[in-house]
Amino acid sequence: MKLSIFRFNPERDKRPYMQDYEVEIGPHDRMLLDVILRIRAQDDSLTIRKSCREGVCGSDAININGRNGLACITPVGGLREPVVLRPLPSFPVIRDLVVDMTQFFAQYHSIKPYVINDEPAPEKERLQSPEDRAKLDGLYECILCACCTSQCPSSWWNPDKFVGPAGLLQAYRFIIDSRDRATQERLDDLNDAYRLFRCRTIMNCTEVCPKGLAPSRAIEKIRLMMVKNSL
Amino acid sequence: MRKAVTGLRAWLVQRVSAIYMLFFIVFLLVHFLVDPPNSYLAWHDWALSRGVSIAASVFWVALFAHAWVGVRDVIMDYVHPIAARVFALALLGLGLVGAGAWVARILWLGRG
Amino acid sequence: MRRPVFFNLTQIQMPVGALTSITHRVTGMLLALGIPYGVHLLDLSLQSPQSFAQLTGVFQHWTFKAAAILFIWALSHHLLAGIRHLLSDIDIGSLLPAARRSAWIVNVGGFAIALLAAGVLL
Repeated sequence: MKLSIFRFNPERDKRPYMQDYEVEIGPHDRMLLDVILRIRAQDDSLTIRKSCREGVCGSDAININGRNGLACITPVGGLREPVVLRPLPSFPVIRDLVVDMTQFFAQYHSIKPYVINDEPAPEKERLQSPEDRAKLDGLYECILCACCTSQCPSSWWNPDKFVGPAGLLQAYRFIIDSRDRATQERLDDLNDAYRLFRCRTIMNCTEVCPKGLAPSRAIEKIRLMMVKNSL
Repeated sequence: MRKAVTGLRAWLVQRVSAIYMLFFIVFLLVHFLVDPPNSYLAWHDWALSRGVSIAASVFWVALFAHAWVGVRDVIMDYVHPIAARVFALALLGLGLVGAGAWVARILWLGRG
Repeated sequence: MRRPVFFNLTQIQMPVGALTSITHRVTGMLLALGIPYGVHLLDLSLQSPQSFAQLTGVFQHWTFKAAAILFIWALSHHLLAGIRHLLSDIDIGSLLPAARRSAWIVNVGGFAIALLAAGVLL
């Protein structure tokens, strides 16, 4: 298999460059990460972040042939060769395929990703009906890999002011949580020209989400809630 | 308050103006297909009749509001230096106000 | 520490919905820039029988016809894409398979209407 991989070593390289590799695929190499690890066995200078290798930790998000995805759950079968691997677009590159996610997590923290409820805690836990729990489906599964935010044009232009699809999906996850009491504050916090309203429903986020989630839909739902609340 | 003006409010202005313009354009299209004005007088009398000129005035207001929100969004995305942004927004505002005054003159002062 | 950024728009894939979206933006800008010209045409059409006659003369010119076709394409794409957004707002076609399909319809529909207009005008 032929690959072309983005290389950058801050201690040595003035600027990034693309390096070509050719590897023999082993009989059990089903996912792109398997192939990358095979390359690493030849060239241990190649840097990638990975951990669970099964699409749960979200650490090996990279740009694969122009499209963000997780190397560990991208089947090698369907990839056009040479497979072009680059770090997540618009994120500062630390080394090779590893990017700095500081701003991404700052945006995530800004939506207060935890249940806010000042009522006295019950003896055991805050109960939730199965129906209310079902509202969190399609939201809680997000692994914060940043595939969506890095592919989102609105985030490209205003990464510091626009929360981005990942953060907004999580904002909605807490807005509709029946145990949360800060719904109105959350909606008010997002109601300015930037934090939510930079979204133009381009839907690149939903296109690339490796977990099949729909951040664009969550954003539309937040907007509808804002409309209803303002009436 | 100021927040609401630029967030949800702007978004609502964009959607509501879009819906009005959509209906107005369909109305125009139907009129031109069913009963196309074939002379200056026919066009003049129809376009400046009370109902049509009111509906058209609302259309132009909707168009200016829609263009304000839309172009403002483009400027906010691509024009970051403050001076350039203020300049672009001022130019946009001036252009729209100017076009509005022109339309008002055509539809309401030029009768006669 | 030096931190380069990979950001080359020609190397980032653009799904069909993104194409619809950027074209929505470009057509919106074209239409906005066309506002003064539109007001000018309205003015000519209502000023006097002479200016009206002058306008119908201009309509026959090929540059006007070309501009009209461009305008019709921009308007149809912008309207179709706008309707797509309005429907998506109220949960119609907001999930990926339907959104991809409607994006294709918008992109092709805008061109189809422009072609139709070209057939009528030319």
